[in-house]
Amino acid sequence: MDLDNNRKLIAAALAAVGSGDPNALQTVYRLTATKLFAVCLRILEERSEAEDVLQEVYMTVWSKAAVFDTTLSSPMTWLIAITRNRAIDHLRARGQNRRMDPLETAAELADDKPTADAALQGAQERAKLQRCLDGLAGRERAALRGAFFDGNTYEELAERMKVPLGTMKSWIRRAMIKLKACLEQ
Amino acid sequence: MTDVDNHEELSPNELLAAEYALGVLAGTERTAAAQRVARDRAFAALVAAWEERLAPWTAELPEVAPPPQVWERIAAQLPGAQRQRPRFWQSLVFWRGFGIVSALAAACLAALLYLSMASQQAALVASIEGDGQRIFVAVIDVKRTAITVVPAAYRPDPTRVPELWLVPPGGKPLPLGVLPSDRPTQIALPTTFADQARRDAGLAVSLEPPGGSPTGQPTGPVIGSGKLTNM
Repeated sequence: MDLDNNRKLIAAALAAVGSGDPNALQTVYRLTATKLFAVCLRILEERSEAEDVLQEVYMTVWSKAAVFDTTLSSPMTWLIAITRNRAIDHLRARGQNRRMDPLETAAELADDKPTADAALQGAQERAKLQRCLDGLAGRERAALRGAFFDGNTYEELAERMKVPLGTMKSWIRRAMIKLKACLEQ
Repeated sequence: MTDVDNHEELSPNELLAAEYALGVLAGTERTAAAQRVARDRAFAALVAAWEERLAPWTAELPEVAPPPQVWERIAAQLPGAQRQRPRFWQSLVFWRGFGIVSALAAACLAALLYLSMASQQAALVASIEGDGQRIFVAVIDVKRTAITVVPAAYRPDPTRVPELWLVPPGGKPLPLGVLPSDRPTQIALPTTFADQARRDAGLAVSLEPPGGSPTGQPTGPVIGSGKLTNM
């Protein structure tokens, strides 16, 4: 589907959800559930928990759509942020994150290939972000990836990459500074 | 990329926003940041900007269709959810279809008259039920040329479509077509199926990918079934 058109549909449906229309929530669900479920599954890995979180996400959308600030976020970003935060909250409630295998810093560029869908959806932003991520040091990129996709905390990342906590914090901070500067170019 | 390490810094607020958006905070730090998003608009704007920067990364995840129960559970919590277990006669879709049902009743009356006059054959009717509810009602005309299907308590699935099957006793399901979920429809009965459309044959509805089963046999769950009986 045409990306711009899709964005407009989601924005319009969200506005209708904000005014209390349950059918509009179903429209938002139809347009976004496959993407948000992928995010839940990636962070949580367990299917039934991912399904629970997805349900919570749309109930949150239902209750918060009226106060969704279109001047701060695009609709899809808002939905993805709600989803990641919910999934991460579940992960934190479990206690120890199960994804604690050592993080590879070298080989991880290869699996960064966007899917066919990604090639269509938001290709420009995606390409720009990828270019900027590629400009980071391998260990910085690996740490960001562990946080973003595995939901790791600073402490967990330090353990996975076998560095002191302070070192991990400075890696991430430096990576965020570089990322912002690169994206603003 | 130019080396920005020594030239640029993030303000403490922006750093916190970045850490929260990335998800590396834990415990009270994470809770405090979340609460601050709710009450401090300037901070919320910083967080939103970082979310905007990072969100395109999710494009690398292949999309996955959630199972239909997820939407069902959401729908059950929404206002108007009492509709989810309606009595047959309380169903909105049923009453929407009522005009057609009335027309069907007239047609059936005509069929009965015809039957009494000439034929051994009656019109056939089936109530397609699943999970204790009547989800569709179907009528096959006396001449076995068409099947008319009216949605009753069927609740649309967000990702799949209902497909109707004729199931001869002891035989394989024969595909009759995809059903609209919100209005009555009439499907021509293929002449090759006409012999199978008799009393005690079954009708079943399964959930299939948009466009219908790719295999010619049900691939998704059967959500309802019923036997054809003489009208």
